[in-house]
Amino acid sequence: MFTPRGCRFAPVETATVILVLVVVVALSFDFTNGFHDTANAMATSIATGALQPRTAVALSGILNLVGAFLSVEVALTVTNAVVNIQNKDGSPKPELLEGGGSALLLIVLAGLVGAIVWNLLTWLVGLPSSSSHALFGGLIGSTVAGLGWAGVNWNGDGSKIDGVVGKVIIPAITSPVLACIIATVGTWLVHKVITGVAQRFTDQGFRWGQIGSASLVSLAHGTNDAQKTMGVITLGLIASGHWTNTEEIPFWVKALCAIAIASGTYLGGWRIIRTLGKGLIEITPPQGMAAETSSGAIILISSHMGFALSTTHVTTGSVLGAGVGKPGASVRWKVAGRMVIAWFTTIPAAAFVGALMWWIGDLLGGGLLGALVISLILLGFTIAVMVRSRKNPVHAGNVNDEWDATEGADRTPAAV
Amino acid sequence: MTQNLILVGEALWKILAVGLLLGAGIPVLFSVGVRAMAFGAGGAAETSHEPGHPIGKVLAAVCFVVCLAVVAMGITWIVASGFGKTLSFEDIYPTIVDK
Repeated sequence: MFTPRGCRFAPVETATVILVLVVVVALSFDFTNGFHDTANAMATSIATGALQPRTAVALSGILNLVGAFLSVEVALTVTNAVVNIQNKDGSPKPELLEGGGSALLLIVLAGLVGAIVWNLLTWLVGLPSSSSHALFGGLIGSTVAGLGWAGVNWNGDGSKIDGVVGKVIIPAITSPVLACIIATVGTWLVHKVITGVAQRFTDQGFRWGQIGSASLVSLAHGTNDAQKTMGVITLGLIASGHWTNTEEIPFWVKALCAIAIASGTYLGGWRIIRTLGKGLIEITPPQGMAAETSSGAIILISSHMGFALSTTHVTTGSVLGAGVGKPGASVRWKVAGRMVIAWFTTIPAAAFVGALMWWIGDLLGGGLLGALVISLILLGFTIAVMVRSRKNPVHAGNVNDEWDATEGADRTPAAV
Repeated sequence: MTQNLILVGEALWKILAVGLLLGAGIPVLFSVGVRAMAFGAGGAAETSHEPGHPIGKVLAAVCFVVCLAVVAMGITWIVASGFGKTLSFEDIYPTIVDK
């Protein structure tokens, strides 16, 4: 079954099997991307009771599905933002295509495993970290391991915003601040305007506003995030010679990615929903609407400018801003601090796992055996995380429990 | 590196400006609508328990319609960009044009 590298026969078949692994692992990443980010759109609506938890995740899932199908813009060059494994037109670098493209496939596979491992870990501890950053981090790690530091695109060529610095690091630092400012201003003004109106009356009105704004964020998320996985899978298809068109993404790839992200969203990352909805601030409907509208506006404006920001960073900044902007409200800064730490560690941590996986794969010959082993490591890790999560399950039934009633509230975000 | 920082800085200012206009503006307009609605309903809707003023309901409707229109425009824009189109404001009112 195992064909050693350099063997005269069957390198193409080997690459095809690795390709299947890449596709499956990429779809798994898309799935984790979905449940990791349900919170971005729906946490505030669930926390204020604007939507029942189950209804919220169903609505968000459907809108993500619709959004993913709408993203026909070619996202083939997604990896170009951070690493140099593709040419400008999206075709893979020719030097990586020997042996049926398995060199490139191994880099992509190892990067995806790094991204998923980090997504699962942050989900386990209920931290909203950026899935795009996890993907970029994983790819950076596996590329550095495979091609050396020169494989990383740090700054681009200066003609447009590009590279790790321009597309990842600076946006990560600035976008939460930006979102926080806008949500603070919005929330503060909203509360000035509604003084004198009975609370029941405002809550009822603003719940509708919340549903509308949260739906917009869900739709925008579908269009933004599903694209990335589509791009990665198509890159693998081109590398292994199963697809040649760099202008288009095969329909089945689009459909599978759309379904993966939507079903992930529908599963609902309840742990993260809880942290974002209950952990940071005690959120009210006016705050929820201000936060979600701020997020929606920033995400849409920035992607319109071709400068996509992380939905997670924007939403967290907005929720914080909603806490700062409401007179008399308090923010649990300890929880916010943990999130900030998660943001800074996402790239290096995912990169470390990505690099480690590449080394393991390479040590085992860089071919089918290596790819199989790192996929199995991922499977084992996933099972371990699932088992661990059973110890303190968070689900639709307890997602809104009082935060401070939880034992060691600032350490474990989940109700036991 | 420097060039990259300058480009990002320019983009961020624009996002902040438009973000404040839409991201903070819409909730504020919505809250004006809620306030006007309470003014229109009167009684238990307001802490002052004054009788209702019908004009409030009209004002509220205007606010909500504008909010809805902006959100509808946002959705149209997402959908349009999915088909390789975009919204143009050259004629002041939005029209769908090719990218």
